[in-house]
Amino acid sequence: MALTITCPICGKRNGYEFKFGGEEKGPRPDEKDLTPEAWCGYVHMNNCVAGVQKEWWFHRDGCGSWFTIYRDTTTNFEVEKAEATK
Amino acid sequence: MFSKQKPLWGKKKKLKSSYDVVLIGGGLHSLATAYFLAKEHGITDIAIIEKNFIGFGGAGRNTAIVRANQRTQHNIPLYKEALDLWPVLTKDLDYNLMFNNCGNLNLMHSEAAMKAARMTISTAQFHGVESHLIDAKDAKDLVPALNISDDITFPIHGAMFHPPGGIVRHDAVVWGLAKGAAEKGVEIHQQTEALAIGTNNGKVTSVTTSGGVINTKQVLISAGGYSAGLINGMLGIKLPISVLTIQAMVTQPLKPLLNHVVSSGAYHCYANQTLKGEIATGAHMDPWPNYTNLSTAHFIKHQAEALCEFLPCLQGVRFMRIWGGLADMTPDMAPILEGNNHIDGFFMNCGWGYFGFKSCSSAGKYMAEYMATNECPDMLKPFALKRYEEHKLMGETAALVNYSPDN
Repeated sequence: MALTITCPICGKRNGYEFKFGGEEKGPRPDEKDLTPEAWCGYVHMNNCVAGVQKEWWFHRDGCGSWFTIYRDTTTNFEVEKAEATK
Repeated sequence: MFSKQKPLWGKKKKLKSSYDVVLIGGGLHSLATAYFLAKEHGITDIAIIEKNFIGFGGAGRNTAIVRANQRTQHNIPLYKEALDLWPVLTKDLDYNLMFNNCGNLNLMHSEAAMKAARMTISTAQFHGVESHLIDAKDAKDLVPALNISDDITFPIHGAMFHPPGGIVRHDAVVWGLAKGAAEKGVEIHQQTEALAIGTNNGKVTSVTTSGGVINTKQVLISAGGYSAGLINGMLGIKLPISVLTIQAMVTQPLKPLLNHVVSSGAYHCYANQTLKGEIATGAHMDPWPNYTNLSTAHFIKHQAEALCEFLPCLQGVRFMRIWGGLADMTPDMAPILEGNNHIDGFFMNCGWGYFGFKSCSSAGKYMAEYMATNECPDMLKPFALKRYEEHKLMGETAALVNYSPDN
């Protein structure tokens, strides 16, 4: 199913213009006292939610912005933040 | 599916309050695990818990290709054994699995690809798997329909030919294994959803399902693309998995023209002719994780363009059906098989990406050994989850959305 993504600069565009940048995992962990487990968690581990998740996108064939959106992985539809974090 | 006719795997039974082993997911890996647990280890008090119907997920959505020409030393033996098991299972299950070992022809479109193929072929040959490098003319001799001219987007330089591979009728494997397992006493509970896994002092105690609570000491989550979400949701164990929808389609039935599975990395396309005559073709993955199982116009166009270039005789042929299934991709294109690690009695078998079908027979066999003995068989040792933390990722080519520049 086709996907549209709303870029904060360019507005709603075809999903194929964008590159998926991974699930939002919070800030990069501090390198001080960083364990292999924590680093692996940040780099590789995913929640794999069947439902709404916060995720990163890159407007590759457009303005080049990196931004986050909320999307329902079972429908591919974007979800408003107010709705997603209710 | 739920008609009044008695299915091959026996009448619907009432869910008991306890089983020795509970398998979550009614796909091929679960069915094979149950079959081998019963056949080789005498464990028959098993419930398979399936939310929809057996074969609903990847088991019925893959394009039925089997092969053992992967890239690394750890993977090849597992897939080789899976390949060797098809004729054995056909006999043991007394069920026609329609194994057509027509061979796989993997097209190479550059000198760099030829070089990569040489390495892959060497690994296969080292492990006793037949695989050869051939030039474009030989490829044309094998598949006369191929366009080996220079005026296509990706001219064919040569190919990797793997004769022992081929196609197996995926539904037949589902039905055959279900029948074989049920005959030995395994219960298959369809339309029953697993909701939670109960633990106490780091040990599995129960599985809560939509049909009631089951007391058990061993549980396996082997639910294809849905595994990672279930494992995280039920036990809070995160996995390095991205779940992508992968699409496939078939054309109208044609006279026999493809007697090998043909695939191309550069065109991102593979094609084989089913025993019914349809050209089954696919390979496009959505470049973002999703559970939609839906197909896209984008892919139909891509597939038509690719096929028209390297198999020009297909121009004008109609696509009849298109569908999608889930592939749970790991960063190193190799699965995760674990047991008794986080919680005693909890096993997982997931992360197969789009290799779940070709591996189901051997993976089921070894997972059964793992569960019966509580000791990890040597064959499965390389596939532990710990490898990501230790930076020991396998050298299969990763095709994960947010890791690789392509896809």
